[in-house]
Amino acid sequence: MIDQFLLGLSVVLQPEILMYAFIGVFIGQLIGVLPGIGAITAISLLLPVTFYLDATTSMIMLAGIYYGSQYGGSIASILLNLPGTPSSVVTCLEGYPLAQRSRAGLALFVAACSSFVGGIVGVAILVLAAIPMTIIALRFGAPEYAMLVILGLLAASLIGTGSQIRSFAMVLLGIALGLVGADATTGYYRFVAMPEMADGISLVSLAMGLFGVSEIIRNASRRSPPGPALSITMRDVLPTRAEARSLVLPIVRGSGIGSFFGALPGTGAAIASFMAYAMERRFSRTPEKFGKGHLPGLAAPESANNAAAQTGFIPTLTLGIPGDAVMALIIGALILNGIIPGPRLAVDQPELFWGVIASFFVGNIILLLINIPLIKLWVLLLRVPYQKLYPVIIVMICVGVYSHRTSVTDVVLTLAFGVLGYLMKNYRFEPAPVMLGFVLGPLLEDNFRRTMLLYGGDFTIFLTRPISAMLVACSAVLIAFAVWSGVSAMRKPVHSTP
Amino acid sequence: MQSVTQDWPGTARRALSGSVLLVAGLVMLLICWSYPVGNLTQMGPGYIPRVVGFLICALAVAIIAIDVATPEAAQAGRMHPRGLIFVSTAILLFAGLIDIAGLVPSMFLAVVVSMFADDEARPLPVLVYACLATLGGWLLFLVALELPIPAFWR
Amino acid sequence: MFKKLLAALPLTLALALPAAAQDSFPDHSLRIVHGFGAGGNADTVSRILAEEMSKGLGQPVVVESRPGAGGTVASGYVTKQDPDGYTMQLMVGGHAVAAALYNQLPYESVDDYTFISTLGQFPFFIAARAGEYESINALIEAAKAAPGTLKIGHSGVGSTQHLTGELLDLRTGAKFIHVPYKGGAAASTALMGGEVDVIIDTGTVIRGQAEAGVYDILAATSENRWPDSPDVPTVSETVSPGFDVVSWTAIGMPADVPDDIAERIRGEVHKALELPEVQEKIGDLGAKAGGSSGEELKALIEGQIAVWTDVIDSAGIDKR
Repeated sequence: MIDQFLLGLSVVLQPEILMYAFIGVFIGQLIGVLPGIGAITAISLLLPVTFYLDATTSMIMLAGIYYGSQYGGSIASILLNLPGTPSSVVTCLEGYPLAQRSRAGLALFVAACSSFVGGIVGVAILVLAAIPMTIIALRFGAPEYAMLVILGLLAASLIGTGSQIRSFAMVLLGIALGLVGADATTGYYRFVAMPEMADGISLVSLAMGLFGVSEIIRNASRRSPPGPALSITMRDVLPTRAEARSLVLPIVRGSGIGSFFGALPGTGAAIASFMAYAMERRFSRTPEKFGKGHLPGLAAPESANNAAAQTGFIPTLTLGIPGDAVMALIIGALILNGIIPGPRLAVDQPELFWGVIASFFVGNIILLLINIPLIKLWVLLLRVPYQKLYPVIIVMICVGVYSHRTSVTDVVLTLAFGVLGYLMKNYRFEPAPVMLGFVLGPLLEDNFRRTMLLYGGDFTIFLTRPISAMLVACSAVLIAFAVWSGVSAMRKPVHSTP
Repeated sequence: MQSVTQDWPGTARRALSGSVLLVAGLVMLLICWSYPVGNLTQMGPGYIPRVVGFLICALAVAIIAIDVATPEAAQAGRMHPRGLIFVSTAILLFAGLIDIAGLVPSMFLAVVVSMFADDEARPLPVLVYACLATLGGWLLFLVALELPIPAFWR
Repeated sequence: MFKKLLAALPLTLALALPAAAQDSFPDHSLRIVHGFGAGGNADTVSRILAEEMSKGLGQPVVVESRPGAGGTVASGYVTKQDPDGYTMQLMVGGHAVAAALYNQLPYESVDDYTFISTLGQFPFFIAARAGEYESINALIEAAKAAPGTLKIGHSGVGSTQHLTGELLDLRTGAKFIHVPYKGGAAASTALMGGEVDVIIDTGTVIRGQAEAGVYDILAATSENRWPDSPDVPTVSETVSPGFDVVSWTAIGMPADVPDDIAERIRGEVHKALELPEVQEKIGDLGAKAGGSSGEELKALIEGQIAVWTDVIDSAGIDKR
């Protein structure tokens, strides 16, 4: 493995390829910052350029855009509460409160470092354990996915800062929103008010509305910016020794969770970051600090989603199966170069296979190096008075959402979700569980119904398949935990809320 | 707006958010009631929506019960009518104009209108700033990113 | 700009910029609208074509993605545009399926179009895990012996892949369970993981695994053997004579485009299709590049609408 990795490194370190790797991560990061314009838009824009590059170079550049945009997404989430992807929703939860407390520089630094560690761990797993991970991933059939999603949703109901019953109601609201559109199994139209909604509500408009627009409505008429004036000396950016120490374990746990879930084709990165966050919160000795800008709550999901972004290439590279829409694009680029991705890729094209993997390693280093100096620049952005900033953000959200599917309906829905998110917050409902329900709900319905179809409506299948049974056990433990803490909270006098 | 919410009788006010959720759940059930349900092996498109609808209603009832029982926790946040109105109008204007007038006029109007959400906005600085922002948007979206949106109506 | 900057880099061939405009049509940019996500096969084909056409037409050709409802949102949009020759639609086999599958469409599937030309055609392949079935005959025998047990994974209800499976049921009398997945890749994963027994999908999904020895390709769905896989028998020659499913991509425009403009565009499309690199790229996507006249395209679509209407009625698939 190591020899092959070195072969890969020798491919990447050629100046020309290195340059394209740099361009990829750099453009990816810049575009990832723009709300609503994510990796997909960036990659499809640059796809024609790859016609003129060889397969290895184009793959390295496109992959760079992909994980570079993960970094960029975190920046927009921390500074402006604008999550472009479901996984950066979790980044908003702790990152944005930090920025509001004038600690944006610190938040960005921690995010960059945990992303880096997560990314490197992900690459290491990719190098050392791609094949075993593939075998495990293939064991995940419909029953396993259904149970995994249930576990994820249970974990999510622990996320909100308020009561668990309110969080769970919001998860269900998210699932309900996810039901809109053509039913995946029968094609039947559900809750479709107009033809543009036939493919469902756009994730981008839901995320931009619930988080971005609602925040603008709240702050647009507020005169003085919250918190004291910003200073950006390096000391404000670096965490204290104690803070740094408190981040080690969360980053390790986050990277582990991310590496595992990323390898599952499907919605790996989103589940991974929510699970990492929920786990930190569950096992933290100070759970009350979460939601107000708690560093471990930022570091764990950041490392998880970047680890997942790397291990997400496992099914793509070893099986030729794209894990998500971005992977499908990257595979498309390979096919256009006359290479059919599949199990033989590593054998037939070792330079490409290992070159791409090594480029992840190099790309993560490049990202870290360009990110740290950029932190000052990003924090400067927050010095612009909010009154000047928010009109521009509104326009960026509108253009981003519109260009995503060229749909006016999506823009109007973004506003509707903005108002909804605004009202929800006023009545102490959290938007984050809505997002998770929205992302995971369709996955749950799809796989649950498929399980029932494949195994003739037999519920015991969830207990007789080993991985599924294990997931059921984990869910049971979570429920037991919740009940236990609920009961003990009730025994305590007054001020602890249920 | 703020004073209105606080003039309501206490119990009704505290039950408001849960009730809205309950209504949403009931509306959902009403709409999906006509969808085929199927059976466990061959679930129809209506099966899961019904389950979700019922669960939402059940949780909404629980939330109402808790909110009514715990007076001090159910305080609603302050409303921001000015932000709500101008931000909404700006986005709706953008949505209405983008397919007709193209990107540049839509961006310009969205910036101008949304800037009035700030009650100290003055016409001249707003116009100057909107021109600058539109120029920037044009450079970013059309020149740099080459998004397939016409600048003006083709 | 990013594109141009990148193109200007060393060791990159320059992206040819459009030559100066010569005659009055076209005097501004054209667009190809399609109904699928950015980056999918439809998007890729559009972009390949757009790039070549913009050279010939001397104006940029922009690709616009308007996904939704199996491509019908885009069709509804395109058919309502001015027939001035500046709006084209990349159409796919799903257009004929939609005509049969939807109760109400916001457009007429044939009458609202000026048909320009096909771009390419491709068959589907039927594949199973390596070593499980000797041939397509063995598969159908096994399916008949135990009706309602063998599972076909397909890429979504109402996809051409799904209807092809239903057609196989109808013509051979076998009775498979048709299990929907979100896209061909997910179905392929399920086949590898043992959740389904067979999949029907395009060469791009299946061929890589077949070459690696993971899958056996049992049959192709075209009536005659497909040129680039001459060893693969067809369904028609084995278990169901006359079985012929070929999907396609094509270019259409709103109805009533003036003949001279339609002819100009058709000429540009055909010219682009003759370029070896375009043929190669469309070939890489699993299709055989080939143009046609407007009438041929119209006949192809009408014929498929008839077949799929029949399949959907007989298989009892709910119309939307």
